[in-house]
Amino acid sequence: MSDNNIAERVRGTIYQASLCLDEARWEDWLGLCHDEFYYAIRAFSPEINVDMTYLDGKRADMVTLTEMLPKHNSDNSPLARHTVVYTVDVDEAQQTASAVSSFTVMKTELDGINSHLLAGESNVFLVGKYRDQFRIESGEPLFSERIVQLDTRRLDKGSHWPI
Amino acid sequence: MPARNAKQWEKVPGKLSSGEYVDSRIYSDRDIFEEEITKIFSKVWTPVCHESELPDPYSFRTMTVAREPVLVVRGADNQIRAFLNVCPHRGNMLENRPSGSFEEASPSGAPKHITCMFHAWQFDMKGNCAHISRATEGYQDRLECKDVGLRRLRCEVKYGGFVWVTLNDGIGQTVEEWAGGAFDCMQKSLDAEPLEVFHYHKAIIPCNYKLWHDTNSEFYHDYLHYHNRVTGFNDSYFARKNIGFDNGHVNVGSFEVQYDEYEGFESREELSFPHLPTNHWEMIDFFPGVNFNLRGSALRCDIMTPLGPDKVMIEFRGLGLKRDTPEERLTRQRHHNSIWGPFGRNLHEDLLAVTTQQATMSEWADKRRILHGRHERDADGDPTIHDEEGMRHFYEAWGQWMDRWPGDPELSYEEGQKRKAA
Repeated sequence: MSDNNIAERVRGTIYQASLCLDEARWEDWLGLCHDEFYYAIRAFSPEINVDMTYLDGKRADMVTLTEMLPKHNSDNSPLARHTVVYTVDVDEAQQTASAVSSFTVMKTELDGINSHLLAGESNVFLVGKYRDQFRIESGEPLFSERIVQLDTRRLDKGSHWPI
Repeated sequence: MPARNAKQWEKVPGKLSSGEYVDSRIYSDRDIFEEEITKIFSKVWTPVCHESELPDPYSFRTMTVAREPVLVVRGADNQIRAFLNVCPHRGNMLENRPSGSFEEASPSGAPKHITCMFHAWQFDMKGNCAHISRATEGYQDRLECKDVGLRRLRCEVKYGGFVWVTLNDGIGQTVEEWAGGAFDCMQKSLDAEPLEVFHYHKAIIPCNYKLWHDTNSEFYHDYLHYHNRVTGFNDSYFARKNIGFDNGHVNVGSFEVQYDEYEGFESREELSFPHLPTNHWEMIDFFPGVNFNLRGSALRCDIMTPLGPDKVMIEFRGLGLKRDTPEERLTRQRHHNSIWGPFGRNLHEDLLAVTTQQATMSEWADKRRILHGRHERDADGDPTIHDEEGMRHFYEAWGQWMDRWPGDPELSYEEGQKRKAA
């Protein structure tokens, strides 16, 4: 398979992951991830001048986290992202790829405050970049790492969900 | 009891007495909020940052205290000082960045000086005016550097290296005196060795600051948190006590958290804070809007900046030991953020609850009673952690500072006391 074809499949996988995350289909999202998958939400704070890791874990940790969601009280307002894949670099010899995408996550209020007044209102929740690593297995890209690098640091209520 | 009609709804429920509830207007009334800024927030000691955020001489941090912009700097002599972040010339904000260093020259000024970019007036790290552009040409002998130093603020570094500031020159107490013993429960842990901030984020939420403080002060709300229910809710959890101190501060007693009862979580034993028993959890609710939470391997500090009757900024910091290796630091971050981070299991739930709480207490809503009348005792007659003494203690102090009775803020504190006695 040519580099171009692999790159196209990587792009498709990133967009597929965006749809899964938008629709809170956690199992489907994790189905796109390798067994060795590592996930982290990070941000740099210019207040304390530190690189911070807000959330991280391996695939098994993310499975546990998402399976535990029904036990927790959460803001269930949908989060929809606009993702644009900027770069895809394929290493055919190693059967790996890396990609950088930009994302904006919009929150459409549902039950987070007063649903009668606010439900249906959309606001920007997060801005940042996805820095993804892939392993190519039988021509199919699987996420081996996703670093969610947030620009947004005023996070208000935050979220229980992977971004 | 069936649902109540309007008249029944207005009555004090059951046999609760004055002092066991507050009037919801204290969470929504604009005049009361303005009074709180003037009578409380501009008068007390507030932690504004941690010394590790000012790592070197000429480091600075900016913040807001009781609506006043504040600048904290570390001088060449390593002393930390605080000033109003206001140029005495035309009132411009001197420094707009959240943090940085004055060691290098700025576009308008010299190295090692605080420079107002507008007209290039310059100040040293002690707040002395060092330079007025074209001073003699403009002011002749009518105004000189010695007349226009910065407004200095009282500042102390205390309790694990937190930088405390007050706008009140006349405050009659040191930070230690103001704390009144509230830090005794964790001071040994905080002062054992240097600490360092590893986490910072902020929330601005539609909520009165006191609702956030209430939530930190009462543990009855652990029904909100699946994590706390499965890792706590045993005899030692309930045996904890709320202990009141002078000036409205409250300690929440410690117990051993069973972290491994929550799937995917682990004991904090490996990285316990010095002198803190394994997996224990000490907490200080510091009047009027600060919380220190020492839990196993990490210290959390919430600092509230009230922005309106229904709006508050909460800054969340996580701290570890300065000597942490990178691996230890990552583990400590994980311990802290898996519960208290912006994507953690508990913080989101707390923030969700207080915003939906405030949503029923808008400025136009009818007044109603918000209860804190639990007097829960164990088999030996001792109060349990679900006794709401902590909130009652806070509102006693609040009433005295405000000279208002929390249960009916139209009454003075004295009138409220008389009504309670009657």
